Amino acid sequence: MVFNSLTFVAFFALVLVVHNLPLPWTWRKVNLLLASYLFYTAWNPPFVILLWISTVVDWYAAQGLVKAKRESARHAWMVLSVVANLGMLGYFKYGQFLLDNFAAMLHAAGVAYQPAPHDIVLPVGISFYTFATLAYTLDVYLRRAEPAENFLDYALFVTFFPHLVAGPIMRPTELVPQFEQPRRASADQLRFGLALMTLGLFNKVVLADGFLAPVAEKIYDAQAIPGALDAWAATLAFSGQIFCDFAGYSTTAIGAAMCLGFAMPDNFRFPYAAIGFSDFWRRWHITLSAWLRDYLYIPLGGNRHGERRTLAALMTTMLLGGLWHGASWTFVVWGGLHGVYLAAERLLRKHFNGYRPGTLALVALGLLTYALVNITWVFFRAKTFGTAWTVLGGMFGTNAAAKPILSTFFLLSVAVIVGGLVLTHWFMRARTLESVIARAHPAALCLVWGLLAFAIVIAQGEGAAFIYFQF
Amino acid sequence: MDMRRSEVSPEDQARYLRRGDYARVTAADRPGVAQPVPLREVPAQPWGRILLGAFVLFAVLIGVWEWYWRAWGAVPDYYNSNAEWAQQRRRIDNGEGNKTVLIGSSRVLFDVQLPVWEKLTGERPIQLALEGTTSLVTMENLAADPNFTGHLLVGVAPDLFFSGFAYRGDALKYYQKETPSQRIGNWLSRKLIEPYFAFFDEDFALPKVAKRQDWPARPGVPNRLDVRKLSVSEADRNTHMWDKVYTDVAYRDLARSIWAQHLNGPPPPDMDTPEKVAKAIETQIQRAVDATAKLRARGVEVVFVRPPDAGPYHEFDEHVFPRAKTWDVLLAKTGAPGIHFEDYPELRGFDPPEWSHLKPDDAVRYTTALVPLVERGFASETPASAK
Repeated sequence: MVFNSLTFVAFFALVLVVHNLPLPWTWRKVNLLLASYLFYTAWNPPFVILLWISTVVDWYAAQGLVKAKRESARHAWMVLSVVANLGMLGYFKYGQFLLDNFAAMLHAAGVAYQPAPHDIVLPVGISFYTFATLAYTLDVYLRRAEPAENFLDYALFVTFFPHLVAGPIMRPTELVPQFEQPRRASADQLRFGLALMTLGLFNKVVLADGFLAPVAEKIYDAQAIPGALDAWAATLAFSGQIFCDFAGYSTTAIGAAMCLGFAMPDNFRFPYAAIGFSDFWRRWHITLSAWLRDYLYIPLGGNRHGERRTLAALMTTMLLGGLWHGASWTFVVWGGLHGVYLAAERLLRKHFNGYRPGTLALVALGLLTYALVNITWVFFRAKTFGTAWTVLGGMFGTNAAAKPILSTFFLLSVAVIVGGLVLTHWFMRARTLESVIARAHPAALCLVWGLLAFAIVIAQGEGAAFIYFQF
Repeated sequence: MDMRRSEVSPEDQARYLRRGDYARVTAADRPGVAQPVPLREVPAQPWGRILLGAFVLFAVLIGVWEWYWRAWGAVPDYYNSNAEWAQQRRRIDNGEGNKTVLIGSSRVLFDVQLPVWEKLTGERPIQLALEGTTSLVTMENLAADPNFTGHLLVGVAPDLFFSGFAYRGDALKYYQKETPSQRIGNWLSRKLIEPYFAFFDEDFALPKVAKRQDWPARPGVPNRLDVRKLSVSEADRNTHMWDKVYTDVAYRDLARSIWAQHLNGPPPPDMDTPEKVAKAIETQIQRAVDATAKLRARGVEVVFVRPPDAGPYHEFDEHVFPRAKTWDVLLAKTGAPGIHFEDYPELRGFDPPEWSHLKPDDAVRYTTALVPLVERGFASETPASAK
């Protein structure tokens, strides 16, 4: 079920009540586990089997890793876990993509081949929970952590509903220890958790779905040829939409976990105030970028084997990171562009070592970073390369046949919301939400909280799925 | 087990902070180590009072918002959502496949009154008409469904039926893919929200309200208004025209001006030449022929119904989709009976306030006259009073 639904409101209220009953801790953990399975099956019940497979395989793989006497055996257990998880991911997420590309290759070679449609539904959140379970075996394999002693704690780590389908991608060491001792939110944790959930849902329901998504759709999902203003407005709208959608999900998830007495890590750190792309990736989808760094980039050699190898590892990581987002070459290009940006930044930093930009230069570099990030969003949002080129043509002023498309209202929405978003990110770039809230007047917090909740209700979202569910 | 052995020390945290200018350490600052249990502080504030204050403010604002829309003429009704359509569609899967089913666009939805039908025949039909949408989407779905063995009334609004336009075409996909969570959510909404709150209506949603304010026009961008609220729905999608449409002259004129945009605007790219229009008509009629044949092969009786319209809307339909090239061909090729309002005195003489749909009392009169004709059509007779 999605957070922005009545079903979730009822579900969460019930979970909270049971979690706060005077029951033994094990029973309360069983409640959370069953609730998490219910949360997942509310989409498509049969897919819970995949979740169980992923859970059980990695549980036994980690046990095997610990018991293995020889290094080759340890290696074999690790490979089993990787193959099982990535195999499942590959079959469900990339099956059609691989078939299509195989057929295209044969076609290019002059062989006519039409594969039968794969016709497989992508299980919600499979990219997220396979990465979470993989982290478990890989941490044990890399000797960073011991396996969990208790299957219930481990299964709950995999399945815990706040992070299950769209992250933050949790590491076992972040969550399993929290299940070892009884936890219940304090009254203030519960209230602040609810406030975070309100903020997250406001981002999703009001800003992303209500105001920004229609602007992006008007350009990206229509056949029209946009001029510079329309193409930039739609792309900026999408940059705001995807942030409000995904950061909104993460904030809601963090709030939900806090209401239950658990802590989840930040997934965003005001990324549109990033200066440079290494800074951007330390602020955007932090749990994914850190996962890719720890389990892909570093094992590929990281920055320990010279410049060429470093750049190769960087590009490989970003290309695969792009593919993780979706089975399409447009996502690969999105990842590739980020790889090129990161590589270029690395080379520039080396060349300009010692340069310390002033405030104005920092702001200019930040805005340049944001503009270049927006170029990548074109490939992320466009369903085809044709659309991407058309929008890019508009952004760079080469669409001679362009006519105005977006109304004044749409342009104003983008200016106000995305402009406000970017300014907020700059104001917050070295702050935390908590530190700002701690200094605010309680009456202001009342007012903001009440208004956000009111806006969520009157926006009447239709329970649209979060963008990252499809990944 | 010690999963916290790699926890970053306060000194390290301070170092990361200095290096990265980040306000809080995250996994991004701890490469290649097991990530520790996150720390999440609660800002020191009187959260109990804040929550209470926020809730009071929220409740007051919701009350004012509800009062505003009720004062404007809105009444609580059921959301005409994909979920409600899916719920009615599922009745065919759940043992009611032998019933009479109504498909079509908004004219069948507004003009055919289920209580009247029930009073006349003893059977309350299943209402599956979708506004702004050709009947063919649902007709093809029903033709492919062996569970459906009843009777089918197919509404024909020429500009939708013969163009294949499907504004609500996603309803079918929603029905086919509806998740348990969505079903529960719809059930909760029907029990706890829809019967009680007038503001809970697509037309009163904040983004729509904001969008339709009098913003300055952007040169070169046509100022097209979205279709406004026209109807009120009951629990089983029995629907009638909202009284504001016929009691408030300004609102009625607004509704007419919105139709006028459609009637006077440029044709869509796939219908901008006579040849393309002819091709579209041929394609849609062939779809209807195929679906009718499938349904009749299963014993399902099909009757086409052309509900009344008036004024510029009628002129538009007759100009772009003339009866001789559309309706008459449809009946000839499908071999199914049809009831065109122009052919029956009892179906004529209505005055649709915004040219397209009937007022509630007219809808009752229309349904009363229509039902016997449809019943005879289902019996594969040519309705007696046809010209």
